Amino acid sequence: MSGLGAFLRGLRVTGKVMVNTVFGDGLVTTKYPQEFRQKPQRFHGRHVLNRYPDGMEKCIGCELCAGACPARCIYVRGRDNPSDEPVSPGERYGYVYEINMLRCIFCGLCVEACPTEAITMTHLFEISTANRRDAIYTRQELLMRPDGSVPHMFPDDPLAQLAELDTADGWLRATAPSGVAAYEGVQAWQGTPGPASWAPEPTQDERDA
Amino acid sequence: MTDLTREGIKATVGEEMVKVTVDGQEFEAPKGQMLIQAAQNHGTYIPRFCWHPRMRPVGMCRMCLVEMETPKGRVLITACTNPVADGMVIDTKSEVAKKAQEGVLEFLLINHPLDCPVCDRGGECPLQDHTIAYGPGESRFVEEKRHFEKPIKISDLVYLDRERCILCARCTRFSDEVSGDPLIEFLDRGNFTQINTFPDQPFASYFSGNTVQICPVGALTSKAYRFRARPWDLVSIESTCPHCTTGDRITVQASQNEVLRFLGVDAEATNWSWLSDKCRFGFEFIESPDRLTSPMIRQEDGSFTEATWTEALELVASRFTEIRDAGKGLAVLGGARGTNEDAYALAKFAREVLSTNNIDCQLDDGLDPQFLAATADRARISDLDSARTILVWGPDLKEEHPTLYLRVRHAVQEKGARLVLIHPWRNGLDDRATHKLTYRPGSGAALLTRLQSEEGEVATALAEGPLVALLGRTGYGEDGRLAEAVAAHVRSLGGKLLPLARRSNVYGALDMGLAPSLAPGRATTDNPGKNAAQILEGLAEGSILGLLMVGSDPVRDVPNGELARQALEQARFVVALDQFLTDSSRLADVVLPVEGFAEKEGSVTNVEGRVQKVNRVVPGPGQSRPDWSILDDLSDRMGRSINLVSAEAIAKEIATEVPAYVGVTWDMLDAEKDGVVVPLPEATQPLVYLPADTPGKSFSGELVLHYARTMFDDGVLMRHGPSLEHLAPGAVAILNFDDARRLGLSDGDQADIKTSQGSARLTVRIDPSMNHGLVYVPFNQPGIPSLGSDPVVTVTKA
Ligand code: SF4
Ligand code: SF4
Ligand code: SF4
Ligand code: FES
Repeated sequence: MSGLGAFLRGLRVTGKVMVNTVFGDGLVTTKYPQEFRQKPQRFHGRHVLNRYPDGMEKCIGCELCAGACPARCIYVRGRDNPSDEPVSPGERYGYVYEINMLRCIFCGLCVEACPTEAITMTHLFEISTANRRDAIYTRQELLMRPDGSVPHMFPDDPLAQLAELDTADGWLRATAPSGVAAYEGVQAWQGTPGPASWAPEPTQDERDA
Repeated sequence: MTDLTREGIKATVGEEMVKVTVDGQEFEAPKGQMLIQAAQNHGTYIPRFCWHPRMRPVGMCRMCLVEMETPKGRVLITACTNPVADGMVIDTKSEVAKKAQEGVLEFLLINHPLDCPVCDRGGECPLQDHTIAYGPGESRFVEEKRHFEKPIKISDLVYLDRERCILCARCTRFSDEVSGDPLIEFLDRGNFTQINTFPDQPFASYFSGNTVQICPVGALTSKAYRFRARPWDLVSIESTCPHCTTGDRITVQASQNEVLRFLGVDAEATNWSWLSDKCRFGFEFIESPDRLTSPMIRQEDGSFTEATWTEALELVASRFTEIRDAGKGLAVLGGARGTNEDAYALAKFAREVLSTNNIDCQLDDGLDPQFLAATADRARISDLDSARTILVWGPDLKEEHPTLYLRVRHAVQEKGARLVLIHPWRNGLDDRATHKLTYRPGSGAALLTRLQSEEGEVATALAEGPLVALLGRTGYGEDGRLAEAVAAHVRSLGGKLLPLARRSNVYGALDMGLAPSLAPGRATTDNPGKNAAQILEGLAEGSILGLLMVGSDPVRDVPNGELARQALEQARFVVALDQFLTDSSRLADVVLPVEGFAEKEGSVTNVEGRVQKVNRVVPGPGQSRPDWSILDDLSDRMGRSINLVSAEAIAKEIATEVPAYVGVTWDMLDAEKDGVVVPLPEATQPLVYLPADTPGKSFSGELVLHYARTMFDDGVLMRHGPSLEHLAPGAVAILNFDDARRLGLSDGDQADIKTSQGSARLTVRIDPSMNHGLVYVPFNQPGIPSLGSDPVVTVTKA
């Protein structure tokens, strides 16, 4: 085969896409940031620390997320929960919680490790900053407000679609049913950050009744 | 699981060996050894919760079930309560054994809460680990678990969460068998069995922290470590405890450059994994916000201003040079809390740069330095286990030498040694003493004469060897020479000696020559200098002008604290190398910040002459520096360089230059985790000190003072640790009922206690066990002036 033939063959795909884009409706790029694309439900964006409906923090400062994180970018410190003004249910709460977003690889292992569903991910990924310090998200940026809305470090950022902060990644529970019949059809993830939308497990008394 | 034994307990049971087969592997084990231990020593780990190599077996948890072949067929036995026997055939992994182990775990988990994320044990928990390794994977139990109030505070240091307890009886056995204060016990029966303390008694044991370490779940947790970190973010480095003179081995654990926990290491030579609470929780001072971070110079008005190192060192060098060259006295106090390397640097600095022999690392509260460092017939701690008779005539071991207390207890209780206990008053070992003699301080010499001549029971017991004697000053009224006279008697009976002193590395400091009469390496000096008491007197009356204090706090630590205060006030120029502003360094002209424990590397020497390593785990705060480098810098500025470049280089210098330490290298210490006892076979010790039978001064008065230390006091390391600072028992004067009545005092009254060296107003407590004519006052309690070492005392109602 001649050199030119091979050259043209190599460009066939490119040419087809070009023609389709210019003359047809085969557009594969979007005009970001004028246009946003709907992300798949399980997209991994920046994290949020959730609260229970009564306003209590879900995080108990157990550091399991930090232990699971392959990028070692989470720093958590727990502390005794003040019994007169508890921050979270239980004995302990996370009084320091930081994620270094520059090191995070958005793998979601922290979400899987969390025993209380405290850390989940949203769909927002526009989190560029002008300096390294701002890339370290603390409780202030991560923790959901008592009304359920999620703070953003730069709320005026024209790129940030704040509504994406209300969309949770569809995460899998670490205790996934793995084929157990009793869990067939039982919802295991939800679309928004915050408290789970399914009912808690019944207590012993309720089960017996 | 975190197994606390480093190499497993040595077989202590008989010499005879028997053949055993475990999982098809045949090996020999000493007859009488428990199967669980024998198997472990030969590479088969049998799961366990209640078994602990340093305690008697109980068979509480059933986790160690294995199958044994018998003539009647295979049966399940507990490996922790069955000693090996000849021809035993064991299967630890058979279907039946596995099923038994799964069953036990399923039962244990019935009531165990799913607390792991908030439990301090999570991540290093034997129950978690065993559940993964031997558990059933799933539970059939869906009912409600047992509930108790979540953690209850059973002492100032320990929390108990009864829901998590798996009833293994490790804590109860420890406090009953090992530490001898059974304050924690099982309550109720059957399904309601719980661990708890007695209603009105907190778990106020000096050793309570050990139960936290050995609890196989998170039922017992400590206040100091509660929620501070999780096991996976800890850096662990083995080191030697900075508190007592036993040289207990510990693991220092730190996270984010902050020391968060000490754990005891099972070192055969010393602490067997146990630590007193003072040692275990005495790490908080390291991270104290009060640590000094930059050099400080005192101003006219008594306040301190921060200075640069250059400013501070220039000032010190010029003032010291001036005093030295004028031929006026200089002196050095302290150095017993650092490493051997620092002590060596200090001794060299004092002799070569300051040109003085006025050096003392003991603060007028110990014994003759030559006796401590180089006595003939020095015992090893392990000699206690083979002793027939143990004589303890010295400080209350439970208060001042907790590890020796545990070792003596063990020797008496488990090895059948006889204990002769001689003390002015109640003593931690009373309940184990075969013979207990009490006497009034001042009449010790008379008692000794009686023991030497008399035919009585005690004399007979002492005559029957092997005899090991632990000797020291019972209190500060006691003359140090009495202990030596006792030592001479013990030697005449063929016994071995452990002369006792306190402050972690005092033996190492003496060996490096930090004493008026000692040169480095256990040798004598030609012209001895002044000891601590004489130095303080010299400063007070102006015959000594300059003082260098190294990690010492004479105002609080010398029995005659008032003299120390006067001395520091009178001195022309005082320099302190310290980690904190103490009551003494506050009176210094220049205070230089030093690196402390866990911040520097080096070696230390314990009570039996065992040299071990201490390691660096975290950086020192601010601009702090190690002692040797400050002294080296000063020596350059004073025109007589001592040429030290690093701690390791000093160690090498010691290993070649210091007689008794010849051949002791860091490599050797890193390899031999339990350290080495000096002198090594290839080294010689120039001085072998023969204790002299010169009974100290006798005295008598209507009332005599027994002035002795308690484990927790107002010492500077404790003052800066939030967990320990409140534990000092407080100052009281304890009297016998008759004496109190004669003086018109009743329990709770205020009384003025007066000696020739000090006075204090204290609350009176009446104790029927107190001897007649004796007043006990604990030493160095918060806010109380010291009473001095004159034992003759008057007590008047306030
Ligand atoms: S998403 Fe992955 S990398 Fe990022 S914080 Fe979580 S565990 Fe770490
Ligand atoms: S976010 Fe979850 S896993 Fe991380 S510390 Fe909080 S509770 Fe633990
Ligand atoms: S508290 Fe811990 S050590 Fe004590 S019995 Fe319970 S599980 Fe065992
Ligand atoms: S380890 Fe044998 S019964 Fe507990």
